[in-house]
Amino acid sequence: MISEEKLKILTNGAKYDVSCSSSGSHRKNADGLGNAAAPGCCHSFTPDGRCISLLKILMSNDCIFCCKYCVNRAGEDVPRATATPEELCELVIDFYKRNYIEGLFLSSAVFVSPDHTMERLLLTVKKLRTEYNFHGYIHLKGIPHADGALCREAATYADRMSYNIELPSEHSLKLLAPQKSKESLLLPMRSLSVQKREFQLEKRKGHFLPAGQTTQMIVGASPESDGQILRLSQSLYRANGLKRVYYSAYLPVVHDSLLPERAGGQLREHRLYQADWLLRFYGFEAEEIAPADGNLSLEYDPKCAWALNHPECFPVEVNRAPLELLLRVPGIGARSAYKIMNARKYAALDFEHLSKMRVVLKRAKHFITCRGKFFGAKNESTVKLLLAGEETKRNAEQLSLFSARETALSALTGEL
Amino acid sequence: MLYRYDGTKCGFLTAFCRAFQDKAARLSSGSVQLALGEMCEDVTADAALAERAEKRFLSFDGGCIRELERMLHSGAPDKDEVIFNYFRMIATKKRPVREMLAEDAVRKAEDCILRIRVEIDHMKGFLRFMETKSGAMYAPCSPDNDIIDLLLRHFRARMPHFPFLIHDVSRAKAAVWDGAHCYFAPLGRAEIELSDDECAWQTLWRDYYKSVNIPSRERLKQMRGYLPVRYMKFMNEFFGH
Repeated sequence: MISEEKLKILTNGAKYDVSCSSSGSHRKNADGLGNAAAPGCCHSFTPDGRCISLLKILMSNDCIFCCKYCVNRAGEDVPRATATPEELCELVIDFYKRNYIEGLFLSSAVFVSPDHTMERLLLTVKKLRTEYNFHGYIHLKGIPHADGALCREAATYADRMSYNIELPSEHSLKLLAPQKSKESLLLPMRSLSVQKREFQLEKRKGHFLPAGQTTQMIVGASPESDGQILRLSQSLYRANGLKRVYYSAYLPVVHDSLLPERAGGQLREHRLYQADWLLRFYGFEAEEIAPADGNLSLEYDPKCAWALNHPECFPVEVNRAPLELLLRVPGIGARSAYKIMNARKYAALDFEHLSKMRVVLKRAKHFITCRGKFFGAKNESTVKLLLAGEETKRNAEQLSLFSARETALSALTGEL
Repeated sequence: MLYRYDGTKCGFLTAFCRAFQDKAARLSSGSVQLALGEMCEDVTADAALAERAEKRFLSFDGGCIRELERMLHSGAPDKDEVIFNYFRMIATKKRPVREMLAEDAVRKAEDCILRIRVEIDHMKGFLRFMETKSGAMYAPCSPDNDIIDLLLRHFRARMPHFPFLIHDVSRAKAAVWDGAHCYFAPLGRAEIELSDDECAWQTLWRDYYKSVNIPSRERLKQMRGYLPVRYMKFMNEFFGH
């Protein structure tokens, strides 16, 4: 059994990886232990609001690389540990059968050499699949500069792999992670994506990254704008077929003169996730959401900001509007849009129907009509004020007694 | 008239056939307060009548019987009324009605199914097994809906070589998988002797849970939104909280 001390060290080093999702793979149990279902499963939630789905752990935190932002960088005075493949396999099996986890998220610092690290990671997942007959979910980190053949073999055992881009531009990468290069991250991603396509086309037996690839970027450690970040994400989705890009607000866990002293804003991270959602599921282009050198509005969510900038598109009649336009109405999510499309086949919908269908009318009412009736604020500046007020409430910020916005809202609505 | 049935699919379909023409009909599978002057009839399940009714419903809507089976697991006090109104609507319209979300009966049925589905998804993750001295796994729980048979199906597919018992403490019943068969039994209280390693694994899990948290990003409200407090009492990472 792995020691408590080692587990703590290796978990502490892995916890800044955002991805913990176990979705996207459908793996049947072949007379062993475990399976995986496409929607994934959350097994617990930590006080930081994040889900625990996978056992997120490093194989080693004894790194030879010196990325300025990383808590495990070479030369940093932190306790070091390395787990054996057997210790990790035993931990996964015993946690899994107690239903603590859905599978394994295995990452590692680069120890000895990139190839050696990748070999050890591969050995662990291979052991889990073949010796322990484990069919649960495995997310494996790719090691930059590791041999392509090792990565390709690892992809046949893992459900998902990820290479973390970490910094959204080549310049920042050179500055803050000098041993990594754009090519060492993007080329393996591209190559795995091509190999997966070949695997699917040839209809080969077995698995090859059924849950695809993801990546992660640190936001706020370098000066790139949200517009740049979103354009990069969009190109990763399109060119490399990535399933997901994760954003992590920068946390100053180590000190370096090249890094900001203060943590990156969590609201900015939240807005990037909202914008990312619009790229993937709502048919938006990055160019529509944020200018190349500009940031997302912190005041309004990206869909609201887009709607406020395009008054010519609204209001839309919910009983006639096409799906693409309904999806662009603030307050109407994908599920609500599909519900509306179905329900209006049988009856003309009014505001009461929408409210009972749990459409968020607080926002949507300013952008829609129902049977020709409009219940939103008529004046554009009032709409902006009301929506900004609602955002403030939703983000649970501390209200200021003399806040101009709150005073103005109160004057408008009479609410004390 | 109140039509009382046994809570099974066969019982519901029999009661439905008896109650369909009665405009003031109510259905119930549990104890319920009668309205002033209201009569009550105990309906005995009639397999032949229920089979005919099932076939007829399937001719109107191929998915409604699966929905019925799901809704019968509900722990909501008004579930019989919700199911009855939904099925009355299907029988009246003679077609699938699930997309007619402007109708109260449909929305309530959809909500009922959604609540059960959400709880099944929750319990698939939040159930905690403990290893007993005999090697069998034991998981106590107290779900809002009567879903341990559905959970058993999930865990049987996941760990077919491990015998386990899922204990619904509040309904005093258990679902058992012995490695070859599954069965259900009433179970008030279970005396469990844990295996020698169990405490050590539980401690490791609690250590892991503490280590993976990032204290500087605390969002307790968000955590409680995803993980309702009522589920925490059987999850060992929260023992002592």
